[in-house]
Amino acid sequence: MGSKKRQLAMVFDLNKCIGCQTCSVACKMLWTRDEGTDYQWWCTVNTIPGRGSPRDWEQMGGGYKDGKLSMGKAPERSDFGGGWDFNYDEVFYGKSAEKVPLRVVGEQPDWGPNWDEDQGGGEYPNSYYYYLPRLCNHCTNPACVEACPSGAMYKRDQDGIVLRDESACQGTRKCAEACPYKKIYFNHQRGISQHCIMCLPRIEDGVAPACARQCPGRLVFVGYLDDESGPIHKLVSEWKVAVALHPEYGTKPNIFYVPPIGPKPINDDGSIDENRNRIPDELLEQQFGPDVHQALATLQAEMAKTKAGGQSDLMDILIVYEWKHLFSEFTVDPVDIEQEAN
Amino acid sequence: MTNATLDARHSPANLEDILAPDGSAWNEMTGEVIALTPTPLDRQPSAYVQAAWKDRNHGAVAAVTVQAIRNDDTLALRLQWQAAQPKRSIDDINAYADACAVLFPANGKDTDLETMGSPERPVVAWHWRAGTDAPFSVTARGIGTVERSAEHQLQARSRWSDGRWQVVFARSLESDGLSLSGGTDIPIAFAVWCGAGSERAGLKSHSPEFHQLRIN
Repeated sequence: MGSKKRQLAMVFDLNKCIGCQTCSVACKMLWTRDEGTDYQWWCTVNTIPGRGSPRDWEQMGGGYKDGKLSMGKAPERSDFGGGWDFNYDEVFYGKSAEKVPLRVVGEQPDWGPNWDEDQGGGEYPNSYYYYLPRLCNHCTNPACVEACPSGAMYKRDQDGIVLRDESACQGTRKCAEACPYKKIYFNHQRGISQHCIMCLPRIEDGVAPACARQCPGRLVFVGYLDDESGPIHKLVSEWKVAVALHPEYGTKPNIFYVPPIGPKPINDDGSIDENRNRIPDELLEQQFGPDVHQALATLQAEMAKTKAGGQSDLMDILIVYEWKHLFSEFTVDPVDIEQEAN
Repeated sequence: MTNATLDARHSPANLEDILAPDGSAWNEMTGEVIALTPTPLDRQPSAYVQAAWKDRNHGAVAAVTVQAIRNDDTLALRLQWQAAQPKRSIDDINAYADACAVLFPANGKDTDLETMGSPERPVVAWHWRAGTDAPFSVTARGIGTVERSAEHQLQARSRWSDGRWQVVFARSLESDGLSLSGGTDIPIAFAVWCGAGSERAGLKSHSPEFHQLRIN
């Protein structure tokens, strides 16, 4: 391993995301099944517009303003929701099981992951929404690392993954305050915070992270930002069609998104307005910053090219004819990994 | 501020009696009132913490009363402090529990308290946090370097009543950790965290100088 600093990144093509939560569940099954992690979903998919997971996270501050750390607050447990107990015994083994629906036992929740699913925005027939998968952004300027008073958090040189030494974490939750994306969770059982580790053990064995590998839509690209032959570099740096979420937060995220084009609006007479998009430009700019407009323009121009019978390298990348094209060198099959006994 | 000497006098009480936070074994022991001050903000180990607490007070607890006791096998310390609004557990992600700690030079002799030790002369601390009576031991080699360390024979019990915490730490005299052999004075320092004030980690009240623990 050389000393060269590299940065792993991911690109989510939101035009292909169907909100199936397979990424969320893949992550859940792999990483957050232990005690204290019941409510933790390191990967979540939310319907936009919506209040998000955790609830109203975009109003909680953190990140950087004018190059200086900006104060934030940690979400409350109820802002995440989830981690509920269900009436499994009653449904699976009870006498009147057929009549009993699966439901939360005890205090009834009023929020949870993707609670406002598919509410969306706009008025019929011009309703709109899109799905936004979110995980730790493994930022180039990680506010969490700078805020940690315990020296527990760090960013690896070789791949830029933001990690936490759990033996040094004192559970101060300064990271959760400072992270503007509110993707850090507190483990009440262990008294430490936890977050996405970009499936580090898989990465080290050449396997793509679980959220990416399991995605049925084949919409998650993985690779190094500086790998000019890989799709990440092409989408982020060459075509500039993949943009960061809330770049104004100042942390330089390394999870990028191909913004959603969405359907065209329908006019009162039932005709289609080819000149506008249903998803408001202001919403996309609020989410992805001003660069989103050029990204959308490029996408639409390249789509038009192929519609007219032409060829587009960009469309070929986004179509992903072969799943291995998503993952640069991270195409090893997990079943081929020799597991070391603990 | 004068340095106190805590006499850990021998008692015939058994471990259970010593561990009881309001147990009668403690009535016979004189207590030392240790003045505490807020830790300096400019020594907090992250710029974020310094900025976040610039206009906010910490170090709410001004004094802790400390007693020491020993029997044939065990050394115990009782810390008492006023806490009108106790935070008795971490009941939310933005909630912080009351806590206290006692700190020693790892070599039992000397180190720099202001920096919480150094790579050459670490400190060890016994840490109790409300909501659990499973205390833990930490080692630090400078500010912001705290790591949990094994101290298997450390115990704690706590009690809150009438606006006051009583916390007892007890450790076997013979243990792999800090040497508690009798006859010498061991430097000792104290810290208390006020959960209601969101105090945690470096944000706390502390005794800025070492006092002495004398195990008779």
